[in-house]
Amino acid sequence: MADFEFADDLRVLPGVVAVALFALFAVVFLGASFPDAAGFAGDARLISGIGYALFDFTSASDAPTEGFLAAFEIIDLVLVGALVGAVMLARRDDGSFGELFRGGEK
Amino acid sequence: MIPTEYYLLLSAAVFCIGVFGVLTRRNALVFLMSVELMLNAANLNFIAFSHQYGNLVGQTFSLFTMALAAAEVAVGIGIVLVLYRNFKEVDVTTPTSMRW
Amino acid sequence: MAGALEFAAAIPALPFVGFLIALLAGHYYPKLLPKGGAIPGILATAGSLLLSAWVFLAVGSGGEMNEEIYTWVAGDGTFSLHFGLLVDPLSALMVVLVSLVAFLVHVFSLGYMNDEDEPGLPRYYAGLGLFSASMLAFALSDNLLMSFVFFELVGFCSWWLIGHWYTNPGPASAAKKAFLVTRFGDYFLLVGLVGILGTFGTATFTEFTETAATALGPGGADVTTFFGLDPQAWFALLGLLVLGGVVGKSAQFPLHTWLPDAMEGPTPVSALIHAATMVAAGVYLVARMYGFFALLPTVLAVIALVGGFTALFAATMAVVKREIKQVLAYSTISQYGYMMLGLGAGGYVAGVFHLLTHAVFKALLFLGAGVVIVAMHHDEDMWEMGGLKDKLPVTYWAFLSGSLALAGIVPFAGFWSKDEVLHEALVYGLGGNTALLVAYAFGIVAVFLTGFYTFRMFLLTFHGEPRSSTAESAGGIGWNMKLPVAVLGALALLIGFVNPALVSDLTGANLDFLHSWLEGPIEATAAGHYEELVTANAAYAAAEFSALASAGISLVFALAGVGFAWLLYSGPEPVEHTEKLGSIKTLLYNNYYQDEYQVWLAEHLTLPVSRGVSKFDQGIVDGIVDGASSVTLFSGAQARRLQTGRVSNYVTLLALGLLVMLAALGVLGGWF
Repeated sequence: MADFEFADDLRVLPGVVAVALFALFAVVFLGASFPDAAGFAGDARLISGIGYALFDFTSASDAPTEGFLAAFEIIDLVLVGALVGAVMLARRDDGSFGELFRGGEK
Repeated sequence: MIPTEYYLLLSAAVFCIGVFGVLTRRNALVFLMSVELMLNAANLNFIAFSHQYGNLVGQTFSLFTMALAAAEVAVGIGIVLVLYRNFKEVDVTTPTSMRW
Repeated sequence: MAGALEFAAAIPALPFVGFLIALLAGHYYPKLLPKGGAIPGILATAGSLLLSAWVFLAVGSGGEMNEEIYTWVAGDGTFSLHFGLLVDPLSALMVVLVSLVAFLVHVFSLGYMNDEDEPGLPRYYAGLGLFSASMLAFALSDNLLMSFVFFELVGFCSWWLIGHWYTNPGPASAAKKAFLVTRFGDYFLLVGLVGILGTFGTATFTEFTETAATALGPGGADVTTFFGLDPQAWFALLGLLVLGGVVGKSAQFPLHTWLPDAMEGPTPVSALIHAATMVAAGVYLVARMYGFFALLPTVLAVIALVGGFTALFAATMAVVKREIKQVLAYSTISQYGYMMLGLGAGGYVAGVFHLLTHAVFKALLFLGAGVVIVAMHHDEDMWEMGGLKDKLPVTYWAFLSGSLALAGIVPFAGFWSKDEVLHEALVYGLGGNTALLVAYAFGIVAVFLTGFYTFRMFLLTFHGEPRSSTAESAGGIGWNMKLPVAVLGALALLIGFVNPALVSDLTGANLDFLHSWLEGPIEATAAGHYEELVTANAAYAAAEFSALASAGISLVFALAGVGFAWLLYSGPEPVEHTEKLGSIKTLLYNNYYQDEYQVWLAEHLTLPVSRGVSKFDQGIVDGIVDGASSVTLFSGAQARRLQTGRVSNYVTLLALGLLVMLAALGVLGGWF
């Protein structure tokens, strides 16, 4: 097991903002009162319901939901775009990819 | 059942830990990890309310959030790569050219 | 004939068009102006002269015009500012006079400027055109504001034309001096104008004079006075303020210092501006506003005293001068003193008559002097002249006619008008007004001096043997210079018969043409109306003194002056006698050190004050403005240090902002 050390180059002062933010959240949330949680039926098949929701089969789901087909398609495009973008960013200034696409030659 | 406030409190705690990381850490990769923490805190929130209202929308939405987080990390790592190429280190406090 | 009045606005417009042509064509298309802009100027002034004559005839048969032409600022709930035309006997007379003299001067300039190959001719004719237009518009103004605007314009043209040869230091400095001294006087006129607008709510001559008369009468009228003064005192103050402008423009003491220096300009300019028209503007303004001045005995007394004193004061200085134009300049100052004396003594007709005759004979004398100067190749020293009688015969006779008119010898023009002025002063003075008697005394002594210096000038220039080679070879004068001089020479003889009051008194025939002319269609500006006002409000009582006796006295003084000059300066070899005056001569030659005094005032009074004001302007006013900008710059420089370029800092600020917003929202929304 490698020896690890905590980071020693922290800039702590800005961190106070984060702590203050937490304090604010805590005060607000603990002071809020919610009605009883509706919850789900004991034998409801939630994951199937999510699957049906992804394809707009909302009636086939046990729990109430909405259709997410359009979002599903769009997120597909986003992922493709991210993949291509990552590869483009990996390209070096001279146009090559360096070691990135080297096959398993030895 | 656990009252929903405690879920929210947990989500807020995780979010603030993420914010703390973004504000204080110097390493770019740890910066990205903190951003991931914040995204997941939001997910927790979605789930909590999905249970509160008995509706699957929150859980489905959080799936999409996770997919987006993945895409964002992909691009983010690429940016860290370019950053390293130009500044020879991954310290976020080093590049200060975009100023007066 | 009433159709003429519709074209009255064209009278000043024609020379203005001439000005534009000379200015624009002279700059962009010089080839279009073979004579440098003289032809448009001559045609324009000839046109104005014909129109003025037509308007003159129309007014003579009862036409009159007093209306607004253009509303400059339409007042909302207060008075408006407008330009308008007032065509009545006085203004019709003035426009004929001004356009005649302007026309003759334009013709004369062909000889004086064009034939002598002077540079900058388009500039010169443009200046003459603008001056003629402004003076004609001034004469036709119906309200004091419009008069003021054109008053300033003629002052500007005077600066422009005096400084025609601006590359020499003399003319440039003289032009500045003329402009500054008259501007100083005009400042008082402006304050007076604002006062009149504030008091009466109108600056139209016919309206505010009527309102003032009713205000001082038994009924009282709705006027606003300031500083808690009663109407009589307040109106007197306004009158004195207007008088400030008059004193500057008509070169009365103490603002007379600019006129002798103005002789640095070309002689036709001196003839037009500084003899016949611009300096007449001040006196004309007093005559125009006579309905107002006639109500104020103190102001009338001041006018008469200033006039009489100036007449004597300037005449003493003319006695010792060597240059011909200088003598004529001081003579102008002195004669305008007579006009002021006449107007101040309640003699409206007398003052206007002298204005008319003086314009004619002084323009004549200046143009004659111009002929002499050209013949003498621009040497103005009279002691270098002599014997020009044989070389310049036409000019000689015309100049003689003018000199006799100036000296006031019967039957030439000056006799009739000067005599009437002095008679009015004497008669009203003997009726119980000591100020007028003092002014009369000044005037009568000045008559002697006038005769003396006029004939000193005449004899030294034209008689005797030539005293220098230039005088011996003098000659070469073209018809374009001789013709105006001859025309004016004839007029100087004849124009006196416009109002030979003496002859009417003796023979009982009604020959007072000018007097009946000035009675005119408009009641408010009629001479008779003014006489009533003067006797009623100013309490001028006329004593009985025979006009013949008064005329005799002034004629005796004039002939004595002429005879004394003849004694000293006639003969083939006149000698200088001025040294016999001793230290008085130095005093007179240096113009009582008035110029030095005014420069001293400017350097020791005005300059320190203006330095202090300038410091205030630079330190405080500019300081505030600069301070505002430096505060902005400083805060900007400090604020931009927020942009460190470090992402972490930006995120910190983001988070901080979020925290603050949430806290605020929470407090307002009652989350706690």
